[in-house]
Amino acid sequence: MAKVLMKGNEAIGEAAIRAGCLNYFAYPITPQSEVAEYLVRRMPEVGGVFLQGESEVAVGYMIFGAAGAGERVFTTSSSPGISLMSEAISYIAAAQCPAVFVNIMRGGPGLGGILPSQADYLQATKGIGHGDCRLLVMAPASVQEAVEMVMKAFPLAEKYRNPVMILGDGLIGQMMEPVEFPDHLKTEATNKDAWATNGMDHRNSKTRNLVKSLFLDPVQLNDNNLVLKAKYDRMRAEEVMSESYHTDCDYKGLIVSYGTMSRVCRTAVDMLKAEGIDVGMVRPPDGFSVSRKGRCRGSDEAVVHPCAEHRDEHGPDGRGC
Amino acid sequence: MELELSGIVIIVGAYGSGKTEVAINLAVHMNAAGTAVRLADLDLVNPYFRSREARQALRRLGIDVVLPPARYMQADLPILTPEVSGMLRHPSGLTLLDVGGDDVGATVLAALADPMRGKIPQVLQVINPNRPYTDTVRGCLKMRKAIEAKARMTITGIIGNANFMEETTEQDILAGHAFVKHVAEAGNIPLMFITTPAALLTRLDKKDIHCPVLALRRQLVPPWKQADALGASDSKG
Repeated sequence: MAKVLMKGNEAIGEAAIRAGCLNYFAYPITPQSEVAEYLVRRMPEVGGVFLQGESEVAVGYMIFGAAGAGERVFTTSSSPGISLMSEAISYIAAAQCPAVFVNIMRGGPGLGGILPSQADYLQATKGIGHGDCRLLVMAPASVQEAVEMVMKAFPLAEKYRNPVMILGDGLIGQMMEPVEFPDHLKTEATNKDAWATNGMDHRNSKTRNLVKSLFLDPVQLNDNNLVLKAKYDRMRAEEVMSESYHTDCDYKGLIVSYGTMSRVCRTAVDMLKAEGIDVGMVRPPDGFSVSRKGRCRGSDEAVVHPCAEHRDEHGPDGRGC
Repeated sequence: MELELSGIVIIVGAYGSGKTEVAINLAVHMNAAGTAVRLADLDLVNPYFRSREARQALRRLGIDVVLPPARYMQADLPILTPEVSGMLRHPSGLTLLDVGGDDVGATVLAALADPMRGKIPQVLQVINPNRPYTDTVRGCLKMRKAIEAKARMTITGIIGNANFMEETTEQDILAGHAFVKHVAEAGNIPLMFITTPAALLTRLDKKDIHCPVLALRRQLVPPWKQADALGASDSKG
Protein backbone atom coordinates (compact mmCIF):
# COMPACT_ATOMS: atom_id res chain seq x y z
CA MET A 1 0.00 0.00 0.00
CA ALA A 2 1.14 3.54 -0.70
CA LYS A 3 2.45 5.81 1.99
CA VAL A 4 -0.19 7.75 3.87
CA LEU A 5 0.05 10.55 6.41
CA MET A 6 -1.61 9.46 9.64
CA LYS A 7 -1.96 10.39 13.26
CA GLY A 8 -0.61 7.69 15.53
CA ASN A 9 -4.08 6.99 16.88
CA GLU A 10 -5.54 6.50 13.42
CA ALA A 11 -2.58 4.38 12.33
CA ILE A 12 -2.96 2.13 15.39
CA GLY A 13 -6.61 1.52 14.47
CA GLU A 14 -5.77 0.78 10.85
CA ALA A 15 -2.87 -1.47 11.84
CA ALA A 16 -5.16 -3.65 13.94
CA ILE A 17 -7.50 -4.09 10.96
CA ARG A 18 -4.57 -4.88 8.66
CA ALA A 19 -3.42 -7.45 11.21
CA GLY A 20 -6.77 -9.18 10.89
CA CYS A 21 -8.44 -7.89 14.05
CA LEU A 22 -12.07 -6.93 13.46
CA ASN A 23 -13.17 -6.49 17.06
CA TYR A 24 -12.55 -3.24 18.89
CA PHE A 25 -14.18 -2.35 22.20
CA ALA A 26 -13.28 0.91 23.91
CA TYR A 27 -14.25 3.85 26.06
CA PRO A 28 -13.13 7.38 25.13
CA ILE A 29 -10.34 9.20 26.97
CA THR A 30 -7.89 11.89 25.89
CA PRO A 31 -5.36 11.52 24.28
CA GLN A 32 -6.42 8.32 22.49
CA SER A 33 -10.05 8.98 21.52
CA GLU A 34 -9.11 9.30 17.83
CA VAL A 35 -8.61 5.54 17.69
CA ALA A 36 -12.33 5.14 18.37
CA GLU A 37 -13.21 8.06 16.09
CA TYR A 38 -11.25 6.42 13.29
CA LEU A 39 -12.59 2.92 13.87
CA VAL A 40 -16.23 3.91 14.28
CA ARG A 41 -16.00 4.93 10.64
CA ARG A 42 -13.56 2.28 9.44
CA MET A 43 -14.77 -0.93 11.14
CA PRO A 44 -18.14 -1.03 9.30
CA GLU A 45 -16.26 -0.65 6.00
CA VAL A 46 -14.38 -3.90 6.61
CA GLY A 47 -17.17 -5.85 8.31
CA GLY A 48 -15.73 -5.34 11.77
CA VAL A 49 -17.26 -4.32 15.08
CA PHE A 50 -16.68 -1.28 17.23
CA LEU A 51 -18.61 -1.35 20.45
CA GLN A 52 -18.29 1.34 23.10
CA GLY A 53 -18.54 0.01 26.64
CA GLU A 54 -20.13 1.93 29.49
CA SER A 55 -16.76 2.14 31.25
CA GLU A 56 -13.21 0.86 30.99
CA VAL A 57 -14.07 -1.83 33.54
CA ALA A 58 -16.78 -3.11 31.21
CA VAL A 59 -14.48 -2.88 28.21
CA GLY A 60 -11.85 -4.99 29.97
CA TYR A 61 -14.35 -7.82 30.39
CA MET A 62 -15.73 -7.41 26.86
CA ILE A 63 -12.17 -8.02 25.71
CA PHE A 64 -11.96 -11.07 28.00
CA GLY A 65 -15.18 -12.45 26.52
CA ALA A 66 -14.14 -12.05 22.90
CA ALA A 67 -10.62 -13.33 23.60
CA GLY A 68 -12.03 -16.38 25.36
CA ALA A 69 -14.16 -17.09 22.29
CA GLY A 70 -10.99 -17.12 20.17
CA GLU A 71 -11.56 -13.81 18.40
CA ARG A 72 -8.80 -11.35 17.70
CA VAL A 73 -9.72 -8.36 19.83
CA PHE A 74 -8.11 -5.18 21.06
CA THR A 75 -8.77 -2.01 22.97
CA THR A 76 -7.09 1.32 23.44
CA SER A 77 -7.15 3.62 26.43
CA SER A 78 -5.01 6.05 28.35
CA SER A 79 -3.42 5.76 31.79
CA PRO A 80 -6.40 6.06 34.18
CA GLY A 81 -8.50 3.92 31.84
CA ILE A 82 -5.82 1.24 31.72
CA SER A 83 -5.79 1.19 35.53
CA LEU A 84 -9.51 0.45 35.44
CA MET A 85 -8.90 -2.37 32.95
CA SER A 86 -6.10 -3.89 34.99
CA GLU A 87 -8.43 -6.22 36.90
CA ALA A 88 -9.65 -7.77 33.66
CA ILE A 89 -6.09 -7.94 32.34
CA SER A 90 -5.16 -10.06 35.35
CA TYR A 91 -8.14 -12.38 34.67
CA ILE A 92 -7.18 -12.64 30.99
CA ALA A 93 -3.57 -13.46 31.85
CA ALA A 94 -4.69 -16.07 34.41
CA ALA A 95 -7.07 -17.69 31.91
CA GLN A 96 -4.34 -17.55 29.24
CA CYS A 97 -6.28 -15.73 26.56
CA PRO A 98 -4.70 -13.58 23.85
CA ALA A 99 -5.66 -9.89 23.65
CA VAL A 100 -4.02 -6.61 22.75
CA PHE A 101 -4.16 -3.49 24.92
CA VAL A 102 -2.85 -0.13 23.74
CA ASN A 103 -2.01 2.47 26.39
CA ILE A 104 -1.58 5.99 24.99
CA MET A 105 -0.17 7.38 28.21
CA ARG A 106 -0.96 10.76 29.73
CA GLY A 107 0.41 12.46 32.82
CA GLY A 108 -0.43 11.07 36.26
CA PRO A 109 -0.87 10.01 38.99
CA GLY A 110 -4.60 10.22 39.45
CA LEU A 111 -6.47 12.00 36.68
CA GLY A 112 -3.20 13.81 36.05
CA GLY A 113 -3.32 15.77 32.83
CA ILE A 114 -3.95 15.21 29.16
CA LEU A 115 -0.48 15.93 27.84
CA PRO A 116 1.98 13.14 26.98
CA SER A 117 3.88 11.24 29.64
CA GLN A 118 5.62 7.88 29.87
CA ALA A 119 4.98 7.33 33.55
CA ASP A 120 3.15 3.98 33.25
CA TYR A 121 6.37 2.11 32.62
CA LEU A 122 6.36 0.28 35.94
CA GLN A 123 2.66 -0.51 35.72
CA ALA A 124 3.10 -2.04 32.27
CA THR A 125 6.32 -3.95 32.73
CA LYS A 126 6.38 -5.04 36.35
CA GLY A 127 2.94 -6.57 36.69
CA ILE A 128 -0.20 -4.65 35.92
CA GLY A 129 -3.07 -6.35 37.66
CA HIS A 130 -3.18 -8.33 40.88
CA GLY A 131 -1.37 -11.63 41.27
CA ASP A 132 1.63 -12.78 39.36
CA CYS A 133 0.63 -11.58 35.94
CA ARG A 134 2.92 -10.07 33.34
CA LEU A 135 2.39 -8.51 29.96
CA LEU A 136 4.47 -8.66 26.85
CA VAL A 137 5.16 -4.96 26.28
CA MET A 138 6.29 -3.08 23.19
CA ALA A 139 6.98 0.65 23.26
CA PRO A 140 7.06 2.43 19.89
CA ALA A 141 9.09 5.57 19.24
CA SER A 142 7.46 6.45 15.91
CA VAL A 143 4.10 6.07 14.23
CA GLN A 144 5.59 3.51 11.82
CA GLU A 145 6.87 1.48 14.75
CA ALA A 146 3.47 1.71 16.39
CA VAL A 147 1.92 0.25 13.23
CA GLU A 148 4.35 -2.64 13.08
CA MET A 149 4.15 -3.39 16.79
CA VAL A 150 0.35 -3.47 16.70
CA MET A 151 0.45 -5.82 13.71
CA LYS A 152 2.96 -8.09 15.49
CA ALA A 153 1.07 -7.93 18.77
CA PHE A 154 -1.78 -10.20 17.67
CA PRO A 155 0.30 -13.24 16.67
CA LEU A 156 2.48 -12.69 19.75
CA ALA A 157 -0.57 -12.64 22.01
CA GLU A 158 -1.65 -15.92 20.40
CA LYS A 159 1.81 -17.47 20.56
CA TYR A 160 1.95 -16.94 24.33
CA ARG A 161 -1.81 -16.87 24.98
CA ASN A 162 -1.19 -13.75 26.99
CA PRO A 163 -2.20 -10.08 26.85
CA VAL A 164 0.21 -7.88 24.90
CA MET A 165 0.50 -4.17 25.60
CA ILE A 166 1.57 -1.44 23.22
CA LEU A 167 2.92 1.33 25.42
CA GLY A 168 2.83 4.66 23.61
CA ASP A 169 2.28 8.19 24.87
CA GLY A 170 0.11 11.13 23.84
CA LEU A 171 2.74 12.17 21.33
CA ILE A 172 2.69 8.82 19.54
CA GLY A 173 -1.11 9.03 19.49
CA GLN A 174 -1.40 12.62 18.31
CA MET A 175 1.56 13.26 16.04
CA MET A 176 1.36 12.68 12.32
CA GLU A 177 4.00 10.79 10.36
CA PRO A 178 3.96 9.08 6.98
CA VAL A 179 3.29 5.35 7.40
CA GLU A 180 2.99 2.14 5.44
CA PHE A 181 1.24 -1.07 6.46
CA PRO A 182 3.54 -3.98 5.58
CA ASP A 183 1.55 -6.80 3.97
CA HIS A 184 3.89 -9.44 5.38
CA LEU A 185 2.74 -8.59 8.90
CA LYS A 186 -0.81 -9.70 8.16
CA THR A 187 -1.35 -13.00 9.95
CA GLU A 188 -4.11 -15.42 10.79
CA ALA A 189 -4.84 -16.94 14.16
CA THR A 190 -3.76 -20.57 14.39
CA ASN A 191 -4.35 -23.40 16.80
CA LYS A 192 -7.10 -21.67 18.75
CA ASP A 193 -9.26 -24.79 18.85
CA ALA A 194 -7.01 -26.08 21.62
CA TRP A 195 -8.32 -23.50 24.05
CA ALA A 196 -11.02 -21.20 22.58
CA THR A 197 -14.63 -21.61 23.68
CA ASN A 198 -15.95 -21.32 20.15
CA GLY A 199 -18.21 -24.38 19.97
CA MET A 200 -17.38 -28.07 19.58
CA ASP A 201 -19.14 -28.81 16.29
CA HIS A 202 -16.15 -28.21 14.06
CA ARG A 203 -13.49 -29.61 16.36
CA ASN A 204 -11.86 -33.01 16.06
CA SER A 205 -11.05 -33.07 19.74
CA LYS A 206 -14.00 -33.71 22.04
CA THR A 207 -12.23 -32.16 25.02
CA ARG A 208 -14.15 -29.31 26.55
CA ASN A 209 -12.38 -25.95 26.54
CA LEU A 210 -12.88 -23.87 29.63
CA VAL A 211 -11.88 -20.23 30.14
CA LYS A 212 -11.40 -19.55 33.84
CA SER A 213 -9.16 -17.81 36.32
CA LEU A 214 -10.52 -19.35 39.53
CA PHE A 215 -8.41 -22.16 41.04
CA LEU A 216 -9.75 -22.89 44.51
CA ASP A 217 -7.45 -25.85 44.99
CA PRO A 218 -4.14 -24.30 46.09
CA VAL A 219 -2.15 -26.99 44.29
CA GLN A 220 -3.95 -26.23 41.04
CA LEU A 221 -3.43 -22.50 41.57
CA ASN A 222 0.24 -23.09 42.20
CA ASP A 223 0.49 -25.24 39.08
CA ASN A 224 -1.16 -22.51 37.01
CA ASN A 225 1.27 -19.95 38.36
CA LEU A 226 4.21 -22.17 37.48
CA VAL A 227 2.87 -22.51 33.92
CA LEU A 228 2.54 -18.73 33.71
CA LYS A 229 6.00 -18.19 35.19
CA ALA A 230 7.59 -20.50 32.60
CA LYS A 231 5.73 -18.60 29.89
CA TYR A 232 6.88 -15.20 31.15
CA ASP A 233 10.47 -16.45 31.24
CA ARG A 234 10.11 -17.63 27.64
CA MET A 235 8.70 -14.24 26.60
CA ARG A 236 11.67 -12.49 28.17
CA ALA A 237 14.14 -14.83 26.52
CA GLU A 238 12.59 -14.91 23.06
CA GLU A 239 11.10 -11.48 22.51
CA VAL A 240 13.86 -9.13 23.56
CA MET A 241 14.39 -6.15 21.30
CA SER A 242 17.04 -3.55 21.66
CA GLU A 243 18.37 -0.58 19.80
CA SER A 244 21.54 1.32 20.44
CA TYR A 245 22.62 4.71 19.17
CA HIS A 246 26.13 6.10 19.10
CA THR A 247 27.49 3.31 21.30
CA ASP A 248 30.28 2.25 18.92
CA CYS A 249 32.64 4.76 20.50
CA ASP A 250 34.36 5.43 23.79
CA TYR A 251 31.29 7.06 25.24
CA LYS A 252 31.45 9.04 28.49
CA GLY A 253 27.88 8.33 29.44
CA LEU A 254 25.02 6.15 28.37
CA ILE A 255 21.39 7.16 28.30
CA VAL A 256 18.73 4.47 28.69
CA SER A 257 15.45 5.66 27.32
CA TYR A 258 12.28 4.40 25.70
CA GLY A 259 9.35 5.55 23.59
CA THR A 260 9.20 9.13 22.34
CA MET A 261 11.70 10.18 25.01
CA SER A 262 14.30 8.14 23.12
CA ARG A 263 13.85 10.54 20.21
CA VAL A 264 14.47 13.49 22.51
CA CYS A 265 17.55 11.67 23.79
CA ARG A 266 18.79 11.00 20.23
CA THR A 267 18.64 14.72 19.56
CA ALA A 268 20.53 15.33 22.83
CA VAL A 269 23.17 12.74 21.81
CA ASP A 270 23.59 14.53 18.45
CA MET A 271 23.87 17.94 20.14
CA LEU A 272 26.47 16.64 22.60
CA LYS A 273 28.38 14.96 19.79
CA ALA A 274 28.53 18.30 17.95
CA GLU A 275 30.15 19.72 21.08
CA GLY A 276 32.71 16.91 21.11
CA ILE A 277 31.11 14.93 23.94
CA ASP A 278 30.37 11.25 23.21
CA VAL A 279 27.25 9.95 24.90
CA GLY A 280 25.47 6.79 23.74
CA MET A 281 21.88 5.74 24.02
CA VAL A 282 20.22 2.35 24.38
CA ARG A 283 16.54 1.74 23.99
CA PRO A 284 14.61 -1.36 24.88
CA PRO A 285 11.51 -1.21 22.67
CA ASP A 286 10.24 -4.36 24.40
CA GLY A 287 10.02 -2.58 27.74
CA PHE A 288 11.59 -5.51 29.60
CA SER A 289 15.24 -4.76 29.31
CA VAL A 290 15.92 -1.61 31.28
CA SER A 291 16.50 -3.37 34.55
CA ARG A 292 18.11 -6.43 32.94
CA LYS A 293 21.77 -5.66 32.57
CA GLY A 294 23.35 -7.02 29.44
CA ARG A 295 20.22 -7.11 27.34
CA CYS A 296 21.00 -3.84 25.66
CA ARG A 297 24.33 -3.60 23.95
CA GLY A 298 26.65 -1.50 26.06
CA SER A 299 24.51 -1.51 29.17
CA ASP A 300 26.77 -4.02 30.95
CA GLU A 301 29.19 -1.23 31.71
CA ALA A 302 26.60 1.37 32.47
CA VAL A 303 25.62 2.59 35.87
CA VAL A 304 21.94 3.25 35.46
CA HIS A 305 20.58 6.32 37.22
CA PRO A 306 16.80 6.07 37.16
CA CYS A 307 15.25 9.38 36.20
CA ALA A 308 11.71 10.54 36.34
CA GLU A 309 10.79 12.30 33.18
CA HIS A 310 9.02 15.57 33.43
CA ARG A 311 7.50 17.60 30.71
CA ASP A 312 6.02 21.05 30.85
CA GLU A 313 4.85 23.48 28.25
CA HIS A 314 8.40 24.68 27.70
CA GLY A 315 9.45 21.25 26.51
CA PRO A 316 10.90 18.05 27.96
CA ASP A 317 13.22 18.24 30.87
CA GLY A 318 14.68 15.23 32.68
CA ARG A 319 14.92 15.68 36.41
CA GLY A 320 16.73 13.15 38.54
CA CYS A 321 15.00 11.55 41.44
CA MET B 1 1.09 35.62 -8.07
CA GLU B 2 0.61 37.45 -4.77
CA LEU B 3 -1.44 36.01 -1.97
CA GLU B 4 -3.90 38.65 -0.77
CA LEU B 5 -6.48 37.98 1.92
CA SER B 6 -8.34 40.29 4.23
CA GLY B 7 -11.54 40.51 6.24
CA ILE B 8 -12.78 37.45 8.11
CA VAL B 9 -11.08 34.27 6.92
CA ILE B 10 -12.13 30.99 8.50
CA ILE B 11 -9.86 27.97 8.10
CA VAL B 12 -11.72 24.66 8.20
CA GLY B 13 -10.97 21.16 6.97
CA ALA B 14 -10.64 17.50 7.81
CA TYR B 15 -8.98 16.47 11.00
CA GLY B 16 -5.20 16.57 10.50
CA SER B 17 -5.38 18.37 7.14
CA GLY B 18 -2.93 21.02 8.36
CA LYS B 19 -5.30 23.88 9.20
CA THR B 20 -3.21 25.16 12.07
CA GLU B 21 0.12 25.22 10.22
CA VAL B 22 -1.65 26.96 7.33
CA ALA B 23 -3.32 29.49 9.65
CA ILE B 24 -0.07 30.29 11.49
CA ASN B 25 1.95 30.68 8.30
CA LEU B 26 -0.79 32.69 6.59
CA ALA B 27 -0.89 35.01 9.60
CA VAL B 28 2.88 35.47 9.45
CA HIS B 29 2.84 36.07 5.70
CA MET B 30 0.06 38.67 5.74
CA ASN B 31 1.58 40.35 8.79
CA ALA B 32 4.90 40.66 6.93
CA ALA B 33 3.02 42.12 3.97
CA GLY B 34 1.77 44.92 6.22
CA THR B 35 -1.73 43.68 7.08
CA ALA B 36 -2.81 43.79 10.73
CA VAL B 37 -3.58 40.16 11.69
CA ARG B 38 -5.63 38.71 14.53
CA LEU B 39 -5.62 34.94 14.85
CA ALA B 40 -8.10 33.08 17.06
CA ASP B 41 -7.44 29.47 18.08
CA LEU B 42 -10.91 27.97 17.85
CA ASP B 43 -9.84 24.33 18.10
CA LEU B 44 -12.18 23.23 20.85
CA VAL B 45 -12.04 19.52 20.08
CA ASN B 46 -8.41 18.42 20.26
CA PRO B 47 -5.93 19.41 22.95
CA TYR B 48 -2.74 18.67 20.96
CA PHE B 49 -0.88 20.60 18.26
CA ARG B 50 -3.03 23.74 18.38
CA SER B 51 -2.08 27.24 17.23
CA ARG B 52 -1.83 28.33 20.87
CA GLU B 53 1.48 26.41 20.97
CA ALA B 54 2.96 28.99 18.57
CA ARG B 55 1.55 31.98 20.45
CA GLN B 56 4.90 33.27 21.67
CA ALA B 57 6.50 33.19 18.20
CA LEU B 58 3.41 34.89 16.73
CA ARG B 59 3.18 37.56 19.39
CA ARG B 60 6.87 38.37 18.94
CA LEU B 61 6.04 39.26 15.34
CA GLY B 62 3.21 41.54 16.47
CA ILE B 63 0.37 39.15 15.59
CA ASP B 64 -2.57 39.31 17.95
CA VAL B 65 -3.43 35.77 19.13
CA VAL B 66 -6.83 35.28 20.76
CA LEU B 67 -6.83 32.37 23.21
CA PRO B 68 -8.76 31.02 26.19
CA PRO B 69 -7.62 32.28 29.63
CA ALA B 70 -4.14 30.98 30.52
CA ARG B 71 -5.30 28.68 33.30
CA TYR B 72 -7.54 26.76 30.90
CA MET B 73 -4.98 26.66 28.09
CA GLN B 74 -4.14 22.96 28.49
CA ALA B 75 -7.69 21.80 29.14
CA ASP B 76 -9.73 19.82 26.68
CA LEU B 77 -12.75 21.95 27.45
CA PRO B 78 -14.85 23.66 24.77
CA ILE B 79 -14.05 27.21 25.86
CA LEU B 80 -15.16 29.93 23.47
CA THR B 81 -13.84 33.23 24.75
CA PRO B 82 -16.08 36.32 24.30
CA GLU B 83 -13.12 38.08 22.68
CA VAL B 84 -13.79 36.01 19.55
CA SER B 85 -17.27 37.53 19.16
CA GLY B 86 -15.72 40.97 19.61
CA MET B 87 -13.13 40.47 16.91
CA LEU B 88 -15.81 39.22 14.52
CA ARG B 89 -18.11 42.18 15.21
CA HIS B 90 -15.28 44.60 14.51
CA PRO B 91 -12.94 42.92 12.06
CA SER B 92 -9.90 44.80 10.85
CA GLY B 93 -7.07 43.79 8.53
CA LEU B 94 -7.11 40.02 8.46
CA THR B 95 -9.27 38.32 11.08
CA LEU B 96 -8.27 34.68 10.99
CA LEU B 97 -10.11 31.81 12.69
CA ASP B 98 -8.28 28.47 13.08
CA VAL B 99 -11.12 26.00 13.57
CA GLY B 100 -11.01 22.37 14.82
CA GLY B 101 -11.08 19.37 12.52
CA ASP B 102 -13.92 17.70 10.62
CA ASP B 103 -17.57 18.67 10.99
CA VAL B 104 -17.27 18.18 14.76
CA GLY B 105 -14.61 20.88 15.01
CA ALA B 106 -16.61 23.22 12.75
CA THR B 107 -19.69 23.06 14.98
CA VAL B 108 -18.37 26.02 16.97
CA LEU B 109 -18.93 28.28 13.95
CA ALA B 110 -22.71 27.93 14.22
CA ALA B 111 -22.42 29.54 17.65
CA LEU B 112 -20.76 32.57 16.06
CA ALA B 113 -23.58 33.28 13.59
CA ASP B 114 -24.76 36.30 15.55
CA PRO B 115 -21.50 38.32 15.63
CA MET B 116 -20.97 37.43 11.96
CA ARG B 117 -24.41 38.62 10.88
CA GLY B 118 -24.09 40.95 7.88
CA LYS B 119 -20.44 40.04 7.34
CA ILE B 120 -19.23 37.98 4.41
CA PRO B 121 -16.51 35.70 5.71
CA GLN B 122 -14.31 33.61 3.46
CA VAL B 123 -14.49 30.00 4.58
CA LEU B 124 -11.55 28.02 3.24
CA GLN B 125 -11.23 24.24 3.28
CA VAL B 126 -7.71 22.90 3.76
CA ILE B 127 -7.07 19.65 1.90
CA ASN B 128 -4.20 17.20 2.17
CA PRO B 129 -4.87 14.37 -0.28
CA ASN B 130 -2.36 12.17 1.55
CA ARG B 131 -4.70 11.85 4.52
CA PRO B 132 -7.33 9.13 4.93
CA TYR B 133 -10.84 10.07 3.72
CA THR B 134 -9.72 13.14 1.74
CA ASP B 135 -7.70 11.16 -0.80
CA THR B 136 -10.51 11.29 -3.40
CA VAL B 137 -12.43 14.22 -4.89
CA ARG B 138 -15.58 12.60 -3.61
CA GLY B 139 -14.18 12.35 -0.11
CA CYS B 140 -13.25 16.05 -0.12
CA LEU B 141 -16.72 17.08 -1.32
CA LYS B 142 -18.31 14.89 1.32
CA MET B 143 -16.15 16.51 4.00
CA ARG B 144 -17.14 19.92 2.66
CA LYS B 145 -20.84 19.10 2.92
CA ALA B 146 -20.47 17.76 6.45
CA ILE B 147 -18.57 20.86 7.59
CA GLU B 148 -21.04 23.22 5.93
CA ALA B 149 -23.97 21.48 7.60
CA LYS B 150 -22.50 21.75 11.10
CA ALA B 151 -20.98 25.22 10.64
CA ARG B 152 -24.10 26.54 8.91
CA MET B 153 -21.79 28.31 6.50
CA THR B 154 -20.79 27.87 2.89
CA ILE B 155 -17.22 26.99 2.04
CA THR B 156 -15.98 29.60 -0.42
CA GLY B 157 -12.55 28.35 -1.42
CA ILE B 158 -9.94 25.59 -1.28
CA ILE B 159 -6.41 25.58 0.15
CA GLY B 160 -4.16 22.82 -1.18
CA ASN B 161 -1.87 21.51 1.55
CA ALA B 162 -0.49 18.29 0.09
CA ASN B 163 2.34 17.06 2.29
CA PHE B 164 4.03 14.17 4.05
CA MET B 165 5.44 16.47 6.73
CA GLU B 166 9.24 16.63 6.37
CA GLU B 167 9.22 13.82 3.79
CA THR B 168 7.33 16.03 1.30
CA THR B 169 8.82 16.10 -2.19
CA GLU B 170 8.36 18.47 -5.11
CA GLN B 171 6.38 15.71 -6.82
CA ASP B 172 3.99 15.54 -3.85
CA ILE B 173 3.33 19.29 -4.20
CA LEU B 174 2.68 19.07 -7.94
CA ALA B 175 0.43 15.99 -7.65
CA GLY B 176 -1.39 17.64 -4.74
CA HIS B 177 -1.90 20.80 -6.78
CA ALA B 178 -3.44 18.83 -9.66
CA PHE B 179 -5.70 17.05 -7.17
CA VAL B 180 -7.03 20.15 -5.41
CA LYS B 181 -7.61 21.81 -8.78
CA HIS B 182 -10.00 18.95 -9.56
CA VAL B 183 -11.69 19.35 -6.18
CA ALA B 184 -12.14 23.09 -6.74
CA GLU B 185 -13.56 22.53 -10.22
CA ALA B 186 -15.89 19.76 -9.04
CA GLY B 187 -17.10 21.95 -6.18
CA ASN B 188 -17.28 25.07 -8.35
CA ILE B 189 -15.25 27.20 -5.95
CA PRO B 190 -11.84 28.82 -6.40
CA LEU B 191 -8.50 27.30 -5.45
CA MET B 192 -7.19 30.13 -3.24
CA PHE B 193 -3.62 28.98 -2.82
CA ILE B 194 -1.43 25.94 -2.24
CA THR B 195 1.37 25.45 0.25
CA THR B 196 4.89 24.13 0.05
CA PRO B 197 7.55 23.59 2.68
CA ALA B 198 9.68 26.76 2.57
CA ALA B 199 12.76 24.67 1.72
CA LEU B 200 11.14 23.49 -1.54
CA LEU B 201 9.83 26.90 -2.69
CA THR B 202 12.69 27.89 -4.95
CA ARG B 203 13.07 24.43 -6.48
CA LEU B 204 9.36 24.06 -7.25
CA ASP B 205 8.48 24.08 -10.96
CA LYS B 206 5.61 26.58 -10.97
CA LYS B 207 4.84 26.69 -14.68
CA ASP B 208 1.56 24.77 -14.25
CA ILE B 209 0.62 26.39 -10.95
CA HIS B 210 -1.75 29.28 -11.54
CA CYS B 211 -2.47 30.18 -7.94
CA PRO B 212 -0.40 31.71 -5.14
CA VAL B 213 1.98 29.45 -3.20
CA LEU B 214 2.39 29.94 0.54
CA ALA B 215 5.73 28.83 2.00
CA LEU B 216 5.20 26.84 5.20
CA ARG B 217 7.61 26.90 8.11
CA ARG B 218 6.55 24.13 10.43
CA GLN B 219 5.73 25.38 13.93
CA LEU B 220 3.99 22.50 15.67
CA VAL B 221 6.80 20.05 16.12
CA PRO B 222 7.43 17.28 18.64
CA PRO B 223 9.92 18.13 21.40
CA TRP B 224 12.91 16.52 19.65
CA LYS B 225 12.65 18.91 16.72
CA GLN B 226 13.10 22.64 16.35
CA ALA B 227 10.37 24.73 14.80
CA ASP B 228 11.44 26.51 11.62
CA ALA B 229 12.33 30.19 12.14
CA LEU B 230 9.35 32.43 11.43
CA GLY B 231 9.31 35.92 10.04
CA ALA B 232 11.22 35.84 6.75
CA SER B 233 8.95 36.76 3.91
CA ASP B 234 9.44 34.55 0.89
CA SER B 235 6.30 34.73 -1.12
CA LYS B 236 5.19 33.43 -4.07
CA GLY B 237 5.46 32.00 -7.47
